[in-house]
Amino acid sequence: MHETALMQNLISIAEKTVKENNIKHVNSISLSVGRMSNAMPDALIFAFEAFTQNSSLKGAELIINEVPVKVRCERCGFDYEPDDFPFICPECRSNFYSIIQGEDIYIESLDCEV
Amino acid sequence: MAEIEVKQDLRALNNQTAAKNRRSFNENNIFVLNIMGSPGAGKTTLLENILPELAATFSTVVIEGDLATQNDADRIRKTGVKAYQINTNGGCHLDARMIEDEFRKIDAEKTELLIIENVGNLVCPISFDLGEDLRMVVISTPEGEDKPLKYPPAMINTDAVVITKTDLSEYVGVSLDTMKKYIRDINPKVCILEAGKIDGVYNTGSIVRFIKDKLAEKRSVN
Repeated sequence: MHETALMQNLISIAEKTVKENNIKHVNSISLSVGRMSNAMPDALIFAFEAFTQNSSLKGAELIINEVPVKVRCERCGFDYEPDDFPFICPECRSNFYSIIQGEDIYIESLDCEV
Repeated sequence: MAEIEVKQDLRALNNQTAAKNRRSFNENNIFVLNIMGSPGAGKTTLLENILPELAATFSTVVIEGDLATQNDADRIRKTGVKAYQINTNGGCHLDARMIEDEFRKIDAEKTELLIIENVGNLVCPISFDLGEDLRMVVISTPEGEDKPLKYPPAMINTDAVVITKTDLSEYVGVSLDTMKKYIRDINPKVCILEAGKIDGVYNTGSIVRFIKDKLAEKRSVN
């Protein structure tokens, strides 16, 4: 979903970081993509490669780290990684949960030459 | 070689604008509802039927989102409520910046309730915070009883799911109980409401009550 818009944001953030840190060359960009973030890694890489063709980031590799969904049981507080719906707490069998990980997309870091 | 930490959310830009919207709405005491659902789920029809009662109690304005046409805004205007139409010209969702721009046209001081009818789409709008207080996702019985299972984020990231066209369920082979069970399998906490014709009259009382309760709840906190 909107991988192109997300990659435009990423490129804009990366280029800003390059300027602010006087970076000579970016080797790779690490991106954490939550399993429930509605973004598809393949589509992100495709969009990244397309958009960096005419950018100072050309040739940089996009490294995607898929982050699993983690939830907290609302009855007993146990944190677990569910398989499929319904999410059932392995400790107390409650089906009430809050998502604590897996919905976000974050640029973690840039690996570069300064 | 060096590793430079960035730690930035790629959706920060929309979230920042949404937060700005939220501050503007709160400063003007406006309660904001974001209604989402597939194209044809019955969002506009639902609005046509809940607006008379809501607008009688609260000064109400509607923002409509569609790729093209003024059709939905026109339908809302026929109920006597002021409506603004955003045409995205291909965009599949409304985002916070579009709402920020459209909000400038609205008389904020006089408005108490702002209802945003999002672009018909059960995927993308879910990921875009507009600055709203309340979210409702509309699914209709002809879409199939397993619809909730196919669109988990739409069932999770909402305050209420409204099942519309309940009167058609037997004709489309859908069990309301099964549909509701599937919603609960994804999100056991979400409020489930129903809307459909009973003896030819579109019954939306529970949805009106739900919105009024949430609005009153917010006012009592402030």
